[in-house]
Amino acid sequence: MERRQPWNQAPPEAAPKSATSVSHSHSVSGKTAGIWLAAAVGLPVLAACGVTSRIEPYKQTDAVIAAGENVVILARKQHANHEAEEDFVQCISDSLAQGKNKIEVHATKDFEDKMYPWFEPSTAPLSTDDLTALLERPGVRDQVAVTGVRFVVWLDGSTDRVASGGGITCAAGVGGAGCMGLAWWEDDSRYDISVWDIKHLESAGTINGDFKGRSVMPAVIIPIPFIARPQAHACKDLSEQLKQFLTSPQGYGAGPDPNLG
Amino acid sequence: MLLVGCSSSVIVESSFPSPLVEALPVRMGVIFDEELYNYIYTEEIPDQSVWTIALGDANVAMLQPLFSKMFAETRKVDGVPIEDSGLDGVLHPTLSKFEFDVPAGERDKFVEVWMQYQISLFEPSGEKVVDWPVSGYGKSELTHSREDAVQRAAIVAMREVGATISTKFAQQPQVSYWLGEKQHGTTAAVESGATRSGPQVSN
Repeated sequence: MERRQPWNQAPPEAAPKSATSVSHSHSVSGKTAGIWLAAAVGLPVLAACGVTSRIEPYKQTDAVIAAGENVVILARKQHANHEAEEDFVQCISDSLAQGKNKIEVHATKDFEDKMYPWFEPSTAPLSTDDLTALLERPGVRDQVAVTGVRFVVWLDGSTDRVASGGGITCAAGVGGAGCMGLAWWEDDSRYDISVWDIKHLESAGTINGDFKGRSVMPAVIIPIPFIARPQAHACKDLSEQLKQFLTSPQGYGAGPDPNLG
Repeated sequence: MLLVGCSSSVIVESSFPSPLVEALPVRMGVIFDEELYNYIYTEEIPDQSVWTIALGDANVAMLQPLFSKMFAETRKVDGVPIEDSGLDGVLHPTLSKFEFDVPAGERDKFVEVWMQYQISLFEPSGEKVVDWPVSGYGKSELTHSREDAVQRAAIVAMREVGATISTKFAQQPQVSYWLGEKQHGTTAAVESGATRSGPQVSN
């Protein structure tokens, strides 16, 4: 059962306090004109700024996590040019372990150490068939049992700068200094999650997330950044989705209407 | 130009886990020589800095628990030949190659490390059985400190080396043959002992 969420538009995060305070502190002649000019430039710019997100969860079993069972979050490291960032893996782990419906999360490093050398980049199982073969090795299944891990959550993807443009020119003179222009950049946080059920030796499903964030920095006298943080949105939303995934049986959430089609 | 004369120093330090593998039924001597203990890699990168990377402690920290778990018995030895030791073989690991790359451009996110060890297996008599090159690659995000990133990438590469040694050693053709010979020799010795002791018992 597949549930698709439409692209969501999240508002841009507020400019850092330091930038805001700077914008209030400057004092030049024609201040009112500057404010109007900033508004004229800033409002259309703000409309183009923010995070759009899409999450596609697909759960193919009705397995849910039980009391006393753990999950472990592991980054896929087989790719040469990208790898899920360590702080993103940590963010997902922390988010799962906190808040409402929190889940017991086994520390990634500790799991990799306890299972060494079977979850290193060159030896980690790439499929549930590989996992089955791995668990048949002497001592491996017992060691997994010691960790209490029921679900392995593979995290693949990264956050990359996909576009940037514009420009800001600054100048300084005897009467003061100032900048003029507009710079923008777009970051894409694309992450794919695969959930493996170690108890039943099968894939429990996937969650694919794509978060695009466009940041802008208009400069009228001073640059004012409006920074979108797609990775932070990805961590928050994917963690929530993962919590639902692990605690609700198949068909969690509002799936497609069975009467349609 | 401002970086001329700068230096970056990294001491790779980490604890490495013991591998979750079945011990091979052989008694192995291990040579950890001074070169491995005190391995320091130095390279001057044009327009950046002189890098000094000390890997000696990490070499031993990685290989010692690895070999202890891989074989029924391990013992440090000074060299070969070694007579009347009761050992089946002697391993001599060396770090033969080390390369690393620290990105200069803003779009490159990863520090990379590549290293190659040479694992030499000898008979206790000193006869060489095999030279086995084992390489490992590691990368790490470039965050606030280049030195930290190099250290993390080196540790990933060393873990990779350890993973390869512990999972692939017995599969090397020469090693597999050698292990077969040792087991056959042990079995033959046991059978021969049984045959010799048999008549004595019956008498």
